[in-house]
Amino acid sequence: MSTHEMSLEAYRQRVATNRIGLWLFIISDAFMFGALLITRFYLLGDRRPELDQTLGLIVTSVLLTSSFFMNRAEAMIAAGNRRGFLTSTLITMVLGIAFLVGVIGFEWRLAPFGPADGAEGAVFYMMTGMHAFHVLTGVIFLFVVFRNGLKGHYSPERHWAVEACANYWHFVDVVWIFFYPALYLMGTL
Amino acid sequence: MKTSSKAVSEIRRGMIVFVVLAVLTGIEYYVGVHEAPNVILWAIALLKAAVVIQFYMHLMRVFRSQEEH
Repeated sequence: MSTHEMSLEAYRQRVATNRIGLWLFIISDAFMFGALLITRFYLLGDRRPELDQTLGLIVTSVLLTSSFFMNRAEAMIAAGNRRGFLTSTLITMVLGIAFLVGVIGFEWRLAPFGPADGAEGAVFYMMTGMHAFHVLTGVIFLFVVFRNGLKGHYSPERHWAVEACANYWHFVDVVWIFFYPALYLMGTL
Repeated sequence: MKTSSKAVSEIRRGMIVFVVLAVLTGIEYYVGVHEAPNVILWAIALLKAAVVIQFYMHLMRVFRSQEEH
């Protein structure tokens, strides 16, 4: 039975179950990122990699701004404002791509070490690489939601995919909230 | 279709949260480049994460069995 054929009561019940499933997934994924964070302090201790501080602050700001627009997109579809939802989703997607360009395109090139140059390189490329992979999957998720939004698949009552996408995107932001200070700010050079 | 008052208040709250996060990030950057103790940076990161989880991820929705989006 498709979500459009389902009664609103049944749909809400399904969404309540879906929410628990999504949070279980987020928690399990958080353990993996937690392990990476512990690895950083175990291998580097009070040292931090030599990274471009300005670039770090810029990519952090970009991801933070994307979370605002993702929240706006969810609020817009809940209010039935399809145009506002599509615009905000598109902006979130563009900011996500900008974050990827900042980290992969610039920070990886500017870093004075490679992935095989000791613990510093291993930690930095593993942490940023795994996070960037999640941002990429988030961008793909956003694209799917945007495309379905264009086709008019969501309504104020039925937009679980948008909520799931938003939660996933905010989770990726939460991970960076910890990775940014751990890589750029904590410890000495 | 016009944006409802509920959505307007949600967007306004989202904007306030964004400003709070931006200010905390600014403080974090300042504290970090001045090599302050890590405990301050941890405290700021935990606060930022809590704000995002509460207001953007709507954690409390999980504990309500059936609710509108």
